[in-house]
Amino acid sequence: MIEAALPGAKVEVADETGTGDHLRATVSAPQFEGLSRLDQHRLVKAAVKPRFDDGVIHALSLKTEPLG
Amino acid sequence: MADAELKQKVEELIAANPVLLFMKGVPEAPRCGFSMRVVQVLDSMDVEYGAIDVLPALQPLREVTTEISDWQTFPQLYVNGKLLGGADIVEEMFDSGELAEALGVEQPEAAPAPAATLAQSPPLQVE
Repeated sequence: MIEAALPGAKVEVADETGTGDHLRATVSAPQFEGLSRLDQHRLVKAAVKPRFDDGVIHALSLKTEPLG
Repeated sequence: MADAELKQKVEELIAANPVLLFMKGVPEAPRCGFSMRVVQVLDSMDVEYGAIDVLPALQPLREVTTEISDWQTFPQLYVNGKLLGGADIVEEMFDSGELAEALGVEQPEAAPAPAATLAQSPPLQVE
């Protein structure tokens, strides 16, 4: 989902609690270049918003960095 | 569309408090792990901050912060009128020293939450 929204992104996701709804993701994407951390997080959160809306994900810890 | 009166109140609070945390619960008793992490970071630093419990008006406040800062989740830490971030960004900025710089305080020597930070710290490096 994140990779579809951010082509070329490298995404690692870990299940924090073993329940599949509290996730930790590390995302590196070429689109992050020049963006603040806030904007980088906004991009990822926008990409996964449908899964929050339907309740599949409750919490997502994020670490983002530009790729390149 | 956010409630105009509440939005104005929030904007006034952000303007009046140089360091302001919107959180779930109160600093003495956070009601969410992410809020607790930000409280631990702030408490480890020599800084005064205001805290607002968002739980009594979660959805209205979410609408307000979405309009003000394009950010939907709590906690949210504002410094000098600007959103710094939620728990992940605040912790990252603490680790890098950027948070101390933004707050105008010394970087504390001790880590804020031994258990939490230990789990994330990189392995020891041998040079």
